[in-house]
Amino acid sequence: MDKREKEYVKREQNRKLKKVQEYKATGFALGATLIIAAILLFNSYSIKTGEFKSLTLTLAGGYFATAVLQFLIWTKMKNDIIKRDGVTTLTRLCGFLMIALLLSGNIFAAIAGFLTIKKEKNLEYQLSVYMLLTTLCVLLVSLINLFKPYVSNTFFFGMGLLAAIAVLDILAMILIGKGVKGKQVDPRLKWLGVLLILTAATGNIFALVLGLVLIVKIRHKDDLATIEWIEVIRRIFRDNMASLGFFVVTFLLAISICSYLTFDYYVATENDYSAILLNPSLVYPFGTDNYGRCVFTRIVFGARISLVVGILSTMVPIIIGGILGAVAGFYGNRMDNSIMRVLDILYAVPGILLAIAIVAAFGTSTFNLIMALSLGNVPVYARTVRATVLGLSNSEFVEAARACGAKDHVIILKHILPNSMAPIIVRATLSIGGAVLSTSSLSYLGLGVEPHIPEWGNILKIGSKYLETNSYLAIYPGLAIIVLVLAFNYLGDGLRDALDPKLK
Amino acid sequence: MRSMILDAAKKMYRRPLYRLLMILLGLPTFVVTFVVYLMHNSGINKKKRMEDARQKILAGMKTDGTLKRIQAETEDYQKNKRSFFASKISDAELMKQVDKEVEKETQAYVTKKIQDNHELQELLKRTSFINVFEALMGNPIFVVFSVLTSIPFYLLTLIYANAYGKYILERLFMMIFVVFGVVFLVFTILHMSPMDPAVNILGQTATQDQIVEFNRIYGLDKPYLVQLLQVFKNILTFDLGNSYQGNEVVFDAIMRRFPITLELTIASLIVSVAIAIPAGIISAVKQYSSFDYIFMLIALLGLSIPNFWLGLILILNWSINMEWLPATYSPDNWKTLIMPAIVLGTALAASVARMTRSSMLEVINADYIVTARAKGLSKTKVIMRHALGNAMIPIVTVIGLQFGGMLGGSAVTEKVFNVNGIGSYIVDKQFVPDIPVVLAGVVYVAIIISIANLLVDILYAFLDPRIKSKIKSS
Repeated sequence: MDKREKEYVKREQNRKLKKVQEYKATGFALGATLIIAAILLFNSYSIKTGEFKSLTLTLAGGYFATAVLQFLIWTKMKNDIIKRDGVTTLTRLCGFLMIALLLSGNIFAAIAGFLTIKKEKNLEYQLSVYMLLTTLCVLLVSLINLFKPYVSNTFFFGMGLLAAIAVLDILAMILIGKGVKGKQVDPRLKWLGVLLILTAATGNIFALVLGLVLIVKIRHKDDLATIEWIEVIRRIFRDNMASLGFFVVTFLLAISICSYLTFDYYVATENDYSAILLNPSLVYPFGTDNYGRCVFTRIVFGARISLVVGILSTMVPIIIGGILGAVAGFYGNRMDNSIMRVLDILYAVPGILLAIAIVAAFGTSTFNLIMALSLGNVPVYARTVRATVLGLSNSEFVEAARACGAKDHVIILKHILPNSMAPIIVRATLSIGGAVLSTSSLSYLGLGVEPHIPEWGNILKIGSKYLETNSYLAIYPGLAIIVLVLAFNYLGDGLRDALDPKLK
Repeated sequence: MRSMILDAAKKMYRRPLYRLLMILLGLPTFVVTFVVYLMHNSGINKKKRMEDARQKILAGMKTDGTLKRIQAETEDYQKNKRSFFASKISDAELMKQVDKEVEKETQAYVTKKIQDNHELQELLKRTSFINVFEALMGNPIFVVFSVLTSIPFYLLTLIYANAYGKYILERLFMMIFVVFGVVFLVFTILHMSPMDPAVNILGQTATQDQIVEFNRIYGLDKPYLVQLLQVFKNILTFDLGNSYQGNEVVFDAIMRRFPITLELTIASLIVSVAIAIPAGIISAVKQYSSFDYIFMLIALLGLSIPNFWLGLILILNWSINMEWLPATYSPDNWKTLIMPAIVLGTALAASVARMTRSSMLEVINADYIVTARAKGLSKTKVIMRHALGNAMIPIVTVIGLQFGGMLGGSAVTEKVFNVNGIGSYIVDKQFVPDIPVVLAGVVYVAIIISIANLLVDILYAFLDPRIKSKIKSS
């Protein structure tokens, strides 16, 4: 074989490998595991003293060991695909090993494992996998409460409910594996869909989406045309990082709803002077702060307020800015000029500065914060909507609607707005992350949420005072912020690619 | 020169705001023009000219037989009509009908003639204000008089005649509007605040007399509109007042802090651009490679990290654990600038790298790049000389906007490193609320951002010939 022939064979093999989803997912999980292991190893060494911390070092070693296991499965899969044009049953069984790694907290390996054990991976199966993982993760995180001296009154009820839902999720996974073949969905799965939608009350968006997909598919089973929003979701799940971002967002939403049942709010807010500034342990996984409050519980409750502020301060400007932008873009000329010039004033002041001015003037409260953050975002959405509406209002279908005698507000609401949703959805997803960042920055300055409420910026503000002695107080809430914002950013990027494949 | 000025003046006259501005700037000229216009255009003058033209056309109709032709045609038509409908109308009545029709036809003919007569139309049109001005500009005495008395107007016309000049003028005008809007907005917000600066500064133990005295000194006892007008006046005269706390001159205080913020901004800009642009280019050239994936992961991470958290972590590692760098900023020590610059630069670097990658990707797939490659140019040369130039435009925008934003103070980062910049100044005085300081700070930021936007747009026009032609044709 000469050089060129070798290159050709290699390219062909690569093309073959790229088509297999479980191979890609396992490779991705392997990379992620290695990165985590490296971070742990790096953290186990203290530069100041030149010593290794034994606990972190063991953890790093464990992760490296699982990485070796994943590497073996990965190479076996590669051989299978190249030599036999498909993954063998034995390799598929190895997927269960990877699923077991979920117990070590390795979510990447678990996802790869679930993808490996099933041959036909349709959207429903992927959704059920993510749904199950969300429930399991919420269950595992809530279990940490067992180490506490006491748990909330509803803890065991909540845990029982979650366990029941987890069993239902596993059942759903098996039933979907049997009942969904390609585009054909067994009509009996309709009741499963309804049940899953009910479980979405725990904040599990995957359950909601899965239930809707099942019901809609059963109802439209004779239609040949594909349903657009299902296609969009399918495209999101093709992107590893986007689906991971979606998972993290869902997980945080689920934990912030389930924490009403399984977490004790008093642990997060009541002072406990017998447990001041304790280092991380099993009872207090992230340690305690200067009032003896459990930082872990505070971070869990912080997710709730971050999500609420982030989502509300995105929804309000979407509605206000959207209406202003649509009117400006549709009517043009004088209306356009006057609206956009007024919004230019808002645009000239950086959002954070405007928020500082408003919150300082009216006092720190969550409502003021949401209003302040919303106001700064109005011109952004108005501009986005205006640009799309300007483009659309000259298009043929709007002209046709006008020729049919449709009124202006009907044209705007029924014809133009639905068609300009895509850029708004993408921008909204990206700006929720920005709002979370702004919230924590303002709280850090003492201008955000009231100081007694467990919010990530508030925890960090305390942490910054104890940086020298108790650095964990500042590190963990920061990591939580990064994970949430990163998840929204990846989800936003994935949504952009999924909604408009041309952009990629 | 004369035609250029006239041209610009005509264009300006069509836009209401410009019309007002040009009349204000060239008041003596336009007063004279107006007098002449009134004389020219008095009602009698116009009517008489119309009537003359009408008589002339009627006389012409009689001599060239048009009137007779109309008469014959109408009579014929009416007779045909009578016989067709078999109506019993007497001849006298018929003739009356014919006369009426003839009169109507004649009027229509005359009106059409007048409309077709360009000379006459021109004559009627000349009575418009701007045409009177145009006619007057042919008169040397008037020109000398007007140039001597209304130089501002001529300057305005010259600026307007230049495409860039007009563009910049309009943007500056917008900027003034925005600045006043910002002043109004922020002042209103602070005015509506339930907090009382007097109590916050004098303390809870202050007597009623002291509070009243404080409010009197700073004009806080006056009604809202009076205070707002006072603020507008102060902004116009660049006198930003004194702060409530410490009674220092706000303008001087901001100017003292400006160099610090500028230094910090430039340092972080250099750090981020030096990393981001090469990384973005490599990511785009090797799309979907491991480098691309890893670097874009880092870039997104950079966008997701809260500034203050990164600052705290850097302080923890580099100042507390390793003792490499001092944790707080001091102007004499350049080492203290490193950490704030990195923290501020991270977010900027992340967005610049993402922008570089996406705009490079767009350019790299263009046809002309394929052509350049087909010509046999090396890959490096194609990218450095052909692709980068065109990809730079959106990158310059992002850098410019971020630069403006950072000059406006990065309040949070400045607080973390204890930098005495604009941002931390505003935050410190915010709690009082020290209205003059906050107002001045926000207005300063708005002006800086507007100027940065303007500079970016002008730079844009020089970089991109498409935009240049668009500005010129508008």
